[in-house]
Amino acid sequence: MSEVILKGLKKVYDNKVTAVHDVNLQIADKEFIVLVGPSGCGKSTTLRMVAGLEEISDGELYIDNRLVNDVAPKDRDIAMVFQNYALYPHMTVYDNLAFALKLRKTPKADIDKKVREVAEILDITQYLERKPKALSGGQRQRVAIGRAMVRDPKVFLMDEPLSNLDAKLRNQMRAEIIKLRSRINTTFMYVTHDQTEAMTLGDRIVIMKDGYVNQIGTPQEVFNRPVNLFVAGFIGMPVMNFFDNCRLLKENGKYLAEIRGVKFLLSDFQQKALTQNRAEPCEIVAGIRPQHVTVGEGELSAKIEVSEMMGSEYNIHARCGTDEVVMLIPTIDLTADVSMGKTVTFTTKPSLIQLFDKESGHNLIWYDEESAANDAPVCKTYTF
Amino acid sequence: MVLAAKKDSGTSRTDLPQGPVFQNKKLKAFKENAPFLIMIFPAVLVVFLFNYLPIYGVLIAFQDFMPGDKILSDTTIWVGFDNFKRFFSDPQFWPLMKNTFLICIYGFIIGFPLPILVSLMLNSLKGKKTAKFLQTIFTAPHFISLVVLVGMLTLFFGRYGLVNNLVASGGGERYSYFLETGAFRPLYILSSNWQDFGWSAVIYIAALSNVDPQQHEAAILDGATRFQRVIHVDLPAIMPMISVMLIMSIGGLMGVGYEKALLMQTDGNLAVSELVSTYVYKRGLTGVPDQAYATAIGLFNSIINVVLLIIANTTSKKFSENSLW
Repeated sequence: MSEVILKGLKKVYDNKVTAVHDVNLQIADKEFIVLVGPSGCGKSTTLRMVAGLEEISDGELYIDNRLVNDVAPKDRDIAMVFQNYALYPHMTVYDNLAFALKLRKTPKADIDKKVREVAEILDITQYLERKPKALSGGQRQRVAIGRAMVRDPKVFLMDEPLSNLDAKLRNQMRAEIIKLRSRINTTFMYVTHDQTEAMTLGDRIVIMKDGYVNQIGTPQEVFNRPVNLFVAGFIGMPVMNFFDNCRLLKENGKYLAEIRGVKFLLSDFQQKALTQNRAEPCEIVAGIRPQHVTVGEGELSAKIEVSEMMGSEYNIHARCGTDEVVMLIPTIDLTADVSMGKTVTFTTKPSLIQLFDKESGHNLIWYDEESAANDAPVCKTYTF
Repeated sequence: MVLAAKKDSGTSRTDLPQGPVFQNKKLKAFKENAPFLIMIFPAVLVVFLFNYLPIYGVLIAFQDFMPGDKILSDTTIWVGFDNFKRFFSDPQFWPLMKNTFLICIYGFIIGFPLPILVSLMLNSLKGKKTAKFLQTIFTAPHFISLVVLVGMLTLFFGRYGLVNNLVASGGGERYSYFLETGAFRPLYILSSNWQDFGWSAVIYIAALSNVDPQQHEAAILDGATRFQRVIHVDLPAIMPMISVMLIMSIGGLMGVGYEKALLMQTDGNLAVSELVSTYVYKRGLTGVPDQAYATAIGLFNSIINVVLLIIANTTSKKFSENSLW
């Protein structure tokens, strides 16, 4: 068992700046959790507190049911992969991999066996005698991962390990990490600012902003049911389209969303959620993902400003009143004329519309089952 | 097609256009670099005037030269290596070589590792303010002039200086540090190192500031103690700098200056305080100047330094990846 529990974890620096506010997180054994958010959101600080590289100002940290707040990093049974690889430049790959084991006075034969085993898994056996500077970025990253692997840690921490790689290599290494995870089968905490990495790697994603956790959920959950405007805008590529100055209406006991004068009768799920959250007719920001826009139908219209042919699909940037709308249209489905300057009609399924409170930014149709059972409007409990 | 390709691939530099296109490229490169060349010009001029031009003067080492003679004229008397032979047969030759070598080697043994240790220690301090404060304290003596430094030594170690006064107050006998041969080298070397270890450490501290903090963090997670981190992270990081400094130190091993030795010199310690440089000074500029002889000694000393520099650089190149050239 290598469960990690963060209970009210807080980090306040000497200059009174609070980097992390009250993070509560329970990471199950062998779970791959990804902390994602923009720069300065506190994700790396949270990871470093788990690693023991930052002192915990308040709260409790448990690894494998053991309170480790005051336990030295080396005794937490964790390993970390750093953004800059942090390989020892004067040591060969072999020595880099063996270093932690040597410090632990592991017998030489065991070290050799372990190092070669890990090198085999990571396909770096042929580089064992090389120094890090003679390796490519991807190979260095493998060595960095290998250095963590040789220790058989309970928890594997990764701090933006792919950030220094080019786009192609990053995609390759992402796939490698997925394969690796299935082989070594331990608990992972992974920090990234790249939502694609978060979506593809994580069993669950923790989305952070300004030191607060905004949402925790599976990739599907955070994509389909973002808790607020920030999460909706951060997760998904291209970014969700937001329509300002829309309205939530209630007619004949049913909720409707009015976007640019067009009314959409919301789905049963949305009706239930809005009722659960005791939503009243109000001004809202409507969100529609570019993937959910249907072009050539409906009553909404927009003037095309840029049309990007991406091969399998078109990315269309259009102007709908004051809002910019991005639409993704598979090339194969394209029937409308999408050249620049043309006006196109578009619509979406009402069930795919997200409704955000204009003032607080909360998603009015977001709630969790637990809150529903308690008859409580959960989104109101979040403070940002 | 294949033949054409082969012909193309066989194009050598001599096949490149040598005419206006090539010249234009050179001119273009010169124009692009003009601001930098202008900026570096004063430095080049100073080095040329004060380091290269005086080399012309070494010609007098091979002449029977008297003050007032022109270095190159019809009346120049060339004596070949006579001045060098004179030095080798001079009764002072071995004492001078021994004194110079010993003071340099002792100074090197103590003075070379000291700044490295200090820089590693300062870098390992948790309190950065303390480290800065200590660095300032350690660096300050460098700015004391040699005359003041020797004055301080006199105040502390003179017959009626602080140390002797303390010894006398405790019932001990006063010791003439400046008149005894046994005290000259320790006083000279320790005071030199005291004056310069902080300053010399600056270059290592600068090199240490480039160490990726994540390497330390990785070592912490690997279970390295503070000392192990110094050995496995910090020390390797400054090793290239250590190599360069080592080569330069060995290259200047016999190049000890005359100023401080002269200031500390007394009739009592002359047997150990007479160095090649002080001897050159005395023979070349005091009494009846014998500049040709002094130049020959100086040139001989410089040749030893150049040979040492080449040996050190070649050795470093062979056994590590660091060298001056």
